[in-house]
Amino acid sequence: MKIKNAFLSLMILGLSLSCTNDDDGGEAPLGAYENGILVSNEGPFSNGSGTVTFISADLSVVDPAIYKNTNGEDLGNVVQSIGFAEDEAFVIANVSNKINVVNRYTFEKIASIEEGLNNPRYFVAVNGKGYVTNWGDTADETDDFVAIINLQNYTVEGSISVALGPEAILAHNNTVYVAHQGAWGQNNKVSVINTDSNEVVKSITVGDVPNSMQLDASGNLWVLASGKPSYTNDETAGVLSKINTTTNEVDSNYEFNTTEHPGLLQMEGSTLYYYMGGSVYHQNVSATSLSKEVVLSEVGFYTMAVSEGRLYGTDAGDYASNGTLTVYDLSTKLAVETLDVGIIPGGVYFN
Amino acid sequence: MEKKEIILLLLTLCGMMTVYAQKDSVIVLDEVVLSDTKFLHFSKGVKVRVISDSVQQKTVSSLTDLLRANSTIYFKENGYGMVSSASFRGTNAQQTAVVWNGITINSQLTGQTDFNTIIPENYDNVVVRSGGGSVQYGSGAVGGSILLNDSFGFNEDWKNKFSVGYGSFNSSQLTYNTTYGSDKLSFNFGVNRRASDNDYKYLGTDKRNENGAYEVININGNAGYFINRNKMLKIFHNTFIGDRDFSGTLTAPADENYKDVNSRSLLELSSFNEQKVVRIKAGHLYERYRYFPNKERNEFSFGEANTFLAKYDYKYQLNKLSLNGIVDVASIRAKGSSIEKASRNSVSGTILISHDLTETLSYGVNLRQEVVSDFKSPFLVALNSNYKLNSNYTLQLNASKNHRVPTFNDLYWIGAGASGNLEVLPETSWQVELGQTYEGENYSFSANMYAIKSNNSIQWRPNDQGIWMAMNVQEVSQYGLELGLDYSTNWDQHKLLWENEYAFTKSLDNATNNQLLYVPLHKFRSNIAYQYRRIAFFGQILYNGLVYTTTDESEDLPGYLVSHIGLDYHWPSTSKLKVTTGLKVNNIFNKNYQNVAYRPMPNRNFQLHIITKF
Repeated sequence: MKIKNAFLSLMILGLSLSCTNDDDGGEAPLGAYENGILVSNEGPFSNGSGTVTFISADLSVVDPAIYKNTNGEDLGNVVQSIGFAEDEAFVIANVSNKINVVNRYTFEKIASIEEGLNNPRYFVAVNGKGYVTNWGDTADETDDFVAIINLQNYTVEGSISVALGPEAILAHNNTVYVAHQGAWGQNNKVSVINTDSNEVVKSITVGDVPNSMQLDASGNLWVLASGKPSYTNDETAGVLSKINTTTNEVDSNYEFNTTEHPGLLQMEGSTLYYYMGGSVYHQNVSATSLSKEVVLSEVGFYTMAVSEGRLYGTDAGDYASNGTLTVYDLSTKLAVETLDVGIIPGGVYFN
Repeated sequence: MEKKEIILLLLTLCGMMTVYAQKDSVIVLDEVVLSDTKFLHFSKGVKVRVISDSVQQKTVSSLTDLLRANSTIYFKENGYGMVSSASFRGTNAQQTAVVWNGITINSQLTGQTDFNTIIPENYDNVVVRSGGGSVQYGSGAVGGSILLNDSFGFNEDWKNKFSVGYGSFNSSQLTYNTTYGSDKLSFNFGVNRRASDNDYKYLGTDKRNENGAYEVININGNAGYFINRNKMLKIFHNTFIGDRDFSGTLTAPADENYKDVNSRSLLELSSFNEQKVVRIKAGHLYERYRYFPNKERNEFSFGEANTFLAKYDYKYQLNKLSLNGIVDVASIRAKGSSIEKASRNSVSGTILISHDLTETLSYGVNLRQEVVSDFKSPFLVALNSNYKLNSNYTLQLNASKNHRVPTFNDLYWIGAGASGNLEVLPETSWQVELGQTYEGENYSFSANMYAIKSNNSIQWRPNDQGIWMAMNVQEVSQYGLELGLDYSTNWDQHKLLWENEYAFTKSLDNATNNQLLYVPLHKFRSNIAYQYRRIAFFGQILYNGLVYTTTDESEDLPGYLVSHIGLDYHWPSTSKLKVTTGLKVNNIFNKNYQNVAYRPMPNRNFQLHIITKF
């Protein structure tokens, strides 16, 4: 199977190269994976390795396990996410406590970072540095941190102690925002980090279990919190918060019903998209209440992303076999294509 | 060597019940002395194999090692010595019952037995009973059951055995056991300690099994006492204490530690005459684990369960007809970091009927109904028949309905993004089997074909809010063929025993028709034991076919052949002291293999042992 994959990637590499050569006077290609979608697949939970699947922009080519096929080694256990800094991609293997740095277009390995990480989650680059959220030891609720990555020598050069369960991370100008989902527990904070001083300058209270963030064109930070699940015996409602990034104050909170637990906040233009209980909803950033307008229903997404009028939703199936990625046209609300990706597809990124 | 004699007796009883039918009182007595003989009386037509007490059994460290080499059960071991779960006839870990002196000891929390927490050395025999057995053994006896039996010897001298071993990876083993039997009282006691750094090389890499050290201690103690000629009191006890670091994988390091304690006690009063045996049993099972996600820290999560049980068992022999009625009551209490206090009470009634219709044809009808406090348990039935066509050739036929009940985790777990599900139903399964055995003078051949269909398989999946929950998701089927060929011979001072088994196992998800995870299509083993005067040699060859590691068959682990050899020397005995020294070489060809993906098994390794008997 692996050999077959290698052949496939060689064929695709050959094909896409020859294709580009046929193009009239285009720029030199940056790599086989220059133009398309990267899907990070967590891989089997207890043992094994995650993978990255490449899908060409026209959805005609699916190239599985591109890191392994390019570099002849595994990415590591539970590939949580990929972050980007210019031409480089930072692939985070959560259980392996490892980040593999690759060229995002060729997927050739540049370095791997193994020191200074503990349960790494998400990466963002800003102000010449990389910032990675880390849960620390899950038994310790006070050792959570954001690791600072030197982007020249690919080492962890510092860390910022933060509240429990840092998850999603996002940068605006020279400020980093960290949503504290709460690791195995629950939290309700967004930390504001000044990247000049590398200090937490503010902690903003949002809804319980903030899981995703988006930044709109007017500089508002949107934070979606799912609320506490029912099994905690303290079920709380999901909350969509709008935060003014000039004052770092909550501008408004939009509350869901207690049993509604939204997640996967996405944005394109001035439209927010989120997923809740088998449906995708959308609303305009200018709306003054939750419209709960359904875009897609009867879907089951493990993650989703929106780009250029299309929604890309993944299905992890039985979590022990290859998942799928389905592409929807948001104008017709119809599925365009369903493609096989890897085991537990947890991240969708655009090259 | 009375151990051998008892096994011989068991085997003889198995095969030739009818011959001894008139000597009822002898059988009744044996049945009382041998603790769990239900497999003899009510399992005619069922494949039962007593694991031979030959040289290879003496030095195995766990039930995993013993059964891997002596059955066609597939073991998933999370690194050598770590948690080990069985796949018997293509079923899953919760569908194999481990039965200790007649009581099923699968964990109430997980539903399975970790086969590395059972040290087989102190048991008089280990029996592999293939196929459904839920009527006799309750939940989990779907693919098959492993019976661990203690028995009692009367009118015997005081005997002691002391053995020490040392080998690669700083592994050591220490065993002491002692037995004594007067005309009224019999007792035996055994203690084992096994420890290893277990830091074997991951072949083909520069890594080692960094966090795999273990130390386990096992204690068995049993006593039997004849109150008078028709009454006997027995007490059984076993405690296992494990302290294991948990191995990492090829892609992830580990710093976990796991400490578990399992303790079982059973008191049995039996009263018997030529026609009837009445047994009253009371027992207690205790299990507790502590899981340290980082062994350098003090935090741990835990779970524990206490089971109190009582049994009334009445058996009546009416000429060729055996009738057995059993009433069981059990009360289970569990708690843990992720289980708030939970309890379960159950009562069950079982009727077992066995009838020798003619000298050559016998059959059995077995029924069980259980009433459980927290879910509805199905009515179970088993039918079996044994037909001896001639003195060599026997046909066996059986059919049964079996079940596996939801565990405490399945129902009551809460925490870390997961939740138990009170709606989950017991798994039920139907199966049929046809067996044939042909026994020659010094060889026997067996062929068994079976089919199993299970509904409501319980699996953990995320619900629509991403919370992992136990659900009844699958319908699965298994069918397969098992072939066995045993050969033994003696000439002059030579003894030779050769055992071979092959299993073809199809285990399918009915929705996709894909082979289930970690079930090899082909498995083959061949064991040879040869003794000449004071020298004994054994060799084991084990072939495991390819297994899939994803449900869509997109990824797999390749098949492998692994071999072990050993040599024992029995020193000339002086007075009452007998000494044996031995060397065992595991994985002689240094094969790089895995039985769970990304978790390599040990490279070639050596183990030395000295056994003294006095």
